[in-house]
Amino acid sequence: MAKSMEQMIELMDKIPHEPAKPSEFMLPELMAIAVAHEVRDDDIVFAGTGLPMVGIMTANLLNAPHALLIYESGICDGKTMHVPMTVCDQRAANMSSTLGGLVDTFGYYLQRGYVTLGFLGGAAIDKYGGVNVTSIGDYFTPTHRFTGSGGNSDIGTLAHRTAFIILQEKRRFLEKNDYTTTPGWWCWDFKSGEWKPKKEVWKNTPFAESGPCTVVTNMGVYGFDEEGIIYLKTVHPGVTVAQVQENCGFDLNVSRIEGETPHPTYRELFVLREFVDPELIFLPQKVDYPANIQSIIDG
Amino acid sequence: MARSLPKTKKAEILTLGEAVKKYMHDGIMCAFSGFTGFNRNPVAFAWETVRQGIKDIHVLDRHGSVCTWLLNAVNAIKIQETDWFGWGEMAGKLDVNLERNYKAGKMILEDYAHGAIAMRFLAGAVGIPFIPYHAPLGSDLYNPRFDALGRAGLREGDHSKIPSKKFIEMEDPFYGEGDLVLLPAARPDLAVIHVSQAGEKGTARWRGVGTIDKEIAFACDKVVVICEEIVPESELRKTPEGNQIPYFVVDCVVEQPWGAYPSSVPFYYDYDAPFMRIMDAASRKEEDLKKWLDEWVFQPQSWEEFMEKLGARKLLDLKADSVTGYSTRMMRGKKPAPRMTMPLSVAKSGY
Repeated sequence: MAKSMEQMIELMDKIPHEPAKPSEFMLPELMAIAVAHEVRDDDIVFAGTGLPMVGIMTANLLNAPHALLIYESGICDGKTMHVPMTVCDQRAANMSSTLGGLVDTFGYYLQRGYVTLGFLGGAAIDKYGGVNVTSIGDYFTPTHRFTGSGGNSDIGTLAHRTAFIILQEKRRFLEKNDYTTTPGWWCWDFKSGEWKPKKEVWKNTPFAESGPCTVVTNMGVYGFDEEGIIYLKTVHPGVTVAQVQENCGFDLNVSRIEGETPHPTYRELFVLREFVDPELIFLPQKVDYPANIQSIIDG
Repeated sequence: MARSLPKTKKAEILTLGEAVKKYMHDGIMCAFSGFTGFNRNPVAFAWETVRQGIKDIHVLDRHGSVCTWLLNAVNAIKIQETDWFGWGEMAGKLDVNLERNYKAGKMILEDYAHGAIAMRFLAGAVGIPFIPYHAPLGSDLYNPRFDALGRAGLREGDHSKIPSKKFIEMEDPFYGEGDLVLLPAARPDLAVIHVSQAGEKGTARWRGVGTIDKEIAFACDKVVVICEEIVPESELRKTPEGNQIPYFVVDCVVEQPWGAYPSSVPFYYDYDAPFMRIMDAASRKEEDLKKWLDEWVFQPQSWEEFMEKLGARKLLDLKADSVTGYSTRMMRGKKPAPRMTMPLSVAKSGY
């Protein structure tokens, strides 16, 4: 018989917080948990639709229970019971502190400087963390046209730190973007026509020190060095450094690698599967638990 | 030339067909309410606009939506000035109709970002011609070369609604806090806003997120409110803090139940993601799109017939729960929604 939610919460604490084996989880689960690990308990998070949203909801149940979630359509600290499919979903607005609009989220919260962590997607990224969600090829006659900024460029520059989740391919990890929607640690100064550190272009603004901190891909997790250049931090299980380099369009710094991306723990997987996305909207399928975990669940 | 001052309006109650006929025209600049294809899109209004054959529309808005999807399906949009050219998010990201029209040179796209569009409408709403914003310096959004309306020669002063520049970068003259971008106010001709309730005098209310609907109501010259139900003004005035749009900016009220379908109206009905996936799939081939348009736009003789075609079963699935404001019966993914009594994060760790 199906368990009540109260019983499931009790169960949550009984599931071991130990790393699962690679055969026991899927890549999207590993990525969602990698997102969750970026969230701190005192963060005000501004997240986009998709895996970022799933990841921060997971964090809210585990490592960052007091992180405040903002969704761009006007939602402040929504307490969701069912995973939203969009940032304007009434599910995301459930039991929120206040509900407003874009002037609230982009003006009062973001531009005012309260948002500490942005979590966003991207179509392509450059070695300085600049993200393109607009177009490939010439801007006016593109070979590919994407949706455009949405909140990406605002959140990605005004949040104190920003993490991106991106599919890793050679054509998406670039020395320079065809179009920079969200500038990274180096960008054009259009007034002088020079390519400069973001800190100089944004000099004297309250946001000069804000920028990308982490990138999560299907192959690994990345950080940014003192010069604002991306480096490989961890590789996902089963992925080699050579494979990562093959799927990167520039000479990637791999000298600072710390090892393998931490595997999700059984408890993290339990939370993600049973509480965050039990409807299988973002996760492609339900993966079986190993026998010892299943027996705890079955009681 | 100075923008003329608005006059207090007296809202008229019209049918959907009458409202489109009176307030829409070829070449109009307009904005639609809600957020993406999921929340309070005035779909019935856009649907009727397609049926009446209105063309050359300039949409200045915060997003793509079911409305822009429908209009782009018949190439009725000439200029789309917005920050997000998708429409259905998880159920259809990029608007394929838009991409097809754009690549064929049939329309102009002007890129902004959410924050910038929100500020442009805020400026329009509070009556100032421009507003400074900490826009992302170094983004190609603010690259002087990428001004689509300027490139098309539309910023020469022939169009009173199109500002002379896309933006200006300038240094903060007051506190010395670096460079900011000045953005021109948004001042479209018409705002079309779908709400849950409107009084017979025009006072309007929604529940759930506000996106930038109050701002567009004040920024635009004319305002059409589409509502799920017209209720007595006296009812809305018992709890005036729940109302967002005062009657004196509203020109016209249309009562059109389920008029935002397949987007949602919180506490009335949920979004229909499977239907949006079908629309998205149809848009990928021109012959499939034509078939879809014939079936769902041109054959039904009224919005009521459209809903009849959809069927009672669908409406039962989408009907919102009175407590949560959304439906827990609808299949959104591969498994049904679990029964919940409390958000787990709250049950576990409080607020």
